[in-house]
Amino acid sequence: MARDRLISRLLGYQSTFTLLVFVVLVAVFEIFTPGNTFLQQANLYSTARLAPDLGIVSLGVGILMICGEFDLSISSTIPAASFVFVQFLALGTPLWLDLVATLAVGVIIGLVNGVLVTRTRLPSFIITLGTMLFWKGLLYAASLQMPIGIRAWLKTGSWLESMFVAILGGALPVNVLWFVGIAVLLAAMLHFTKFGNWIFATGDNETAARAMGINTARVKVIVYIGVGVLAALVGLISCLRIESFTANQGVGTELRAVASAVVGGTSLTGGIGSVLGIFIGTLTIQIIDSGMILLGLPAFGIGTFIGAAVILFAVLNRYFSRWSTR
Amino acid sequence: MSEDNGHLVRMVGIDKYFGRVCALNGADFSVKHNEIVSLVGDNGAGKSTLIKILSGFHTADKGEIWFEGKKVHLGSPRDAKNLGIETVYQEQALAPHLSISRNVFMGREISGALGVMDGHRMHADSIATLEKLGLRVKDSRAMVEQLSGGQRQGVAIARVLYFKAKLVILDEPTIALSVKESQQVMDFMLQLKNQGISVIFITHNLFHAFQIAERFVVLARGEVLADVERSGTSVEHLSQLVITGRHEVK
Repeated sequence: MARDRLISRLLGYQSTFTLLVFVVLVAVFEIFTPGNTFLQQANLYSTARLAPDLGIVSLGVGILMICGEFDLSISSTIPAASFVFVQFLALGTPLWLDLVATLAVGVIIGLVNGVLVTRTRLPSFIITLGTMLFWKGLLYAASLQMPIGIRAWLKTGSWLESMFVAILGGALPVNVLWFVGIAVLLAAMLHFTKFGNWIFATGDNETAARAMGINTARVKVIVYIGVGVLAALVGLISCLRIESFTANQGVGTELRAVASAVVGGTSLTGGIGSVLGIFIGTLTIQIIDSGMILLGLPAFGIGTFIGAAVILFAVLNRYFSRWSTR
Repeated sequence: MSEDNGHLVRMVGIDKYFGRVCALNGADFSVKHNEIVSLVGDNGAGKSTLIKILSGFHTADKGEIWFEGKKVHLGSPRDAKNLGIETVYQEQALAPHLSISRNVFMGREISGALGVMDGHRMHADSIATLEKLGLRVKDSRAMVEQLSGGQRQGVAIARVLYFKAKLVILDEPTIALSVKESQQVMDFMLQLKNQGISVIFITHNLFHAFQIAERFVVLARGEVLADVERSGTSVEHLSQLVITGRHEVK
């Protein structure tokens, strides 16, 4: 009885719906791809390698949406963190310091976002659009948009690479473990701690939360910093994987992250969502990508399908929530 | 002087200005232990201002507040809450998509190490508190959105009951509620009194007020026009005072 309650609380009705759709999509792709290549190891492997980059930031962005705010600046945080990492590598500082400095970029960008949003009380969509452009401009000026390889300063086999981009047993990319691990930690925080309740309360009814003594500004700033750190981590991981910094790392991630969260049942107005839903939503967006490619559709057409999927899911989630609360 | 004459709270000589507008002028207002008092008056009379001073949202420009025989300074809502003065707003204080127990404990969740919530206790305690009000819910994990207006007020009232309020202030608790739901809320207020708590409620509905209030304080233009026990007045009399804003000419 208690276990059923736990399970139903974990799943939440939106996640169930998202999971159903995910399973259906997998089945559809498996049936319709030539030679049934969808569920073969090569495709699953490449999906697994790419999903965590989107997934780790989507978890952050989704939780921020539950809290009632948006962050578009992650597509600038990712390359900015990558750039700072490479600069520290060039300085010859110890690797742990390079790691700390890289994550600090996320802390700073997140803090700036959080303070601006909570002090100005302007829509976060606009504020973070501004910060996205601001950091991007600085980055382009500093890097002159030139890629920078890391091998000049980082020999292969470093502990940093083993930690973030190794492939265990030749089959499991370690960043998948990071994705799952971070998801588990964030789920525990969001659904089982009082801070998580404050996040939901802030997003669902900020006036009520404040009347009950919750410091909603502090909650938002903390979540913004969390999003920044996760984006910086992804910047580091992608830099290590492609072995260089490029100025267009992370382009388009901000919208795909929102898409993952929406497909995962996160409400656009705050207060509703779950980590499991965002997790499955990310996988759904990712398999739409790879499924479309395997089906032989032109690459530029994939965006159309993802866009249609986002609208469809936003509408379906609303109908589903109305139906389940009848 | 620290005698309280059986009064839980005494507000003495309260003045409040907003710019050049005088919202309250020398208002005296008190509530005894375990008493239900209804604060009535037309719009702009100063009722909301008076209770906002009592709940710490505003600070009086002049006057004193005594609580349980001691002079107090209410600089913020937290000061008032710490004394046991709680305010129940309408649904503005509930999160519609959160469960009943998460709402009751919002901001004051029962938690242990690392802030992990004790869901079982929150569930059990919120069900028990709602039952004290006479409200039976099957599942405290149900979303507040699924409850009726009267039940939602019940949840907001359960919150103040659980956190050991001594004085509960309700601002228009039955507005926008159906007849049946209004009755439910008034039963809740009676239950609060049964639990030893004093209640102040503002209402425009004098019929509702007359059902449960023991005393009526009528405000007009920032001043206390009348302070009468129920036995010394009637709905018509109160209505007359509110509408004309002055005592009737005999």
